[in-house]
Amino acid sequence: MDPATWSVAAPAIGSAFLASLVEVVEAFTIILAVSTLRGWRPAALGTVTALALLGLLIVLLGPLLDRVSLHLLQLIIGVLLLLFGLGWLRKAILRAAGTIPLLDEDAIFAAESAQLAEATGQRRVSLDWIAGLAAFKAVLLEGLEVAFIVIAVGAGRGLLWPVALGALAACLAVLTVGVIVHKPLAKVPENTLKFGVGVMLSAFGVFWTGEGLGIDWPGQDVALVAFAALFLGVGLMTASVLRRPSMEIAQ
Amino acid sequence: MSIIVDVAKELLGMFLADARLTTATLFLVAIVAVLIVALRIEPLLGGGVLLLGCLAILVEATLREARHRRAS
Repeated sequence: MDPATWSVAAPAIGSAFLASLVEVVEAFTIILAVSTLRGWRPAALGTVTALALLGLLIVLLGPLLDRVSLHLLQLIIGVLLLLFGLGWLRKAILRAAGTIPLLDEDAIFAAESAQLAEATGQRRVSLDWIAGLAAFKAVLLEGLEVAFIVIAVGAGRGLLWPVALGALAACLAVLTVGVIVHKPLAKVPENTLKFGVGVMLSAFGVFWTGEGLGIDWPGQDVALVAFAALFLGVGLMTASVLRRPSMEIAQ
Repeated sequence: MSIIVDVAKELLGMFLADARLTTATLFLVAIVAVLIVALRIEPLLGGGVLLLGCLAILVEATLREARHRRAS
């Protein structure tokens, strides 16, 4: 890859890797609850089935998007990335400011274990089926956002495979660490990662929406870095304003 | 069946978590498109409107949500 390609590929792969890291940590908590209650077999089966379904989604939808005209594709994906990225960033700012609580993986683990125990208690048959389904659903729902990010940042520039591999690397990293540690990965700075991904997706959103509308950004792909720096700066500033005690008094 | 409903909810939630943020973003993109395509302003100027507009929408949506949560 030449340096120009890398200036888009690196943020794209990085975004997919970080987004996957966040989502897989969330899914892993539920997989762990399943494997603790019913053993690793239903947990692994549910996880692998959901990952295969998500992979199939990426393989089918990715190349299909390459058939749409580049400007139209950039506009559609750019707008979707803006909606998704701004939403993620808004929530990450609110969490960073303490307005909404941070995700607590230990609490999620306890809640999921209790829910699963209750469900298996009600139905004496097909306990593994219920457990496997819980793992499948967790991986599928958490993975949908990753699948969208992989398709959105990868399809427009023919980077689908490198971006998908970035996401897969994050999955393997979390699962490997999780299997070794064998407890919820509560120490992963989820909100910091979400903040970073929100910044990158918003920057990609502005960049591609603009390109779709015929804007020739100065510095070409390097403009992405400037956009990301702006979103990061404004995001941090907003979080800092929200943390001030005067914000409370103003209410 | 519940999985299909949950998947549909997740997909909708990805893009429509905050209705006002979604509407404002779509409205901004439409304005920039009109400025560039119909009114033929300098595209880079339209790009500036898009970038600053997105930053403004982000700040407004975040502050609004914070006020709403603190009030309730």
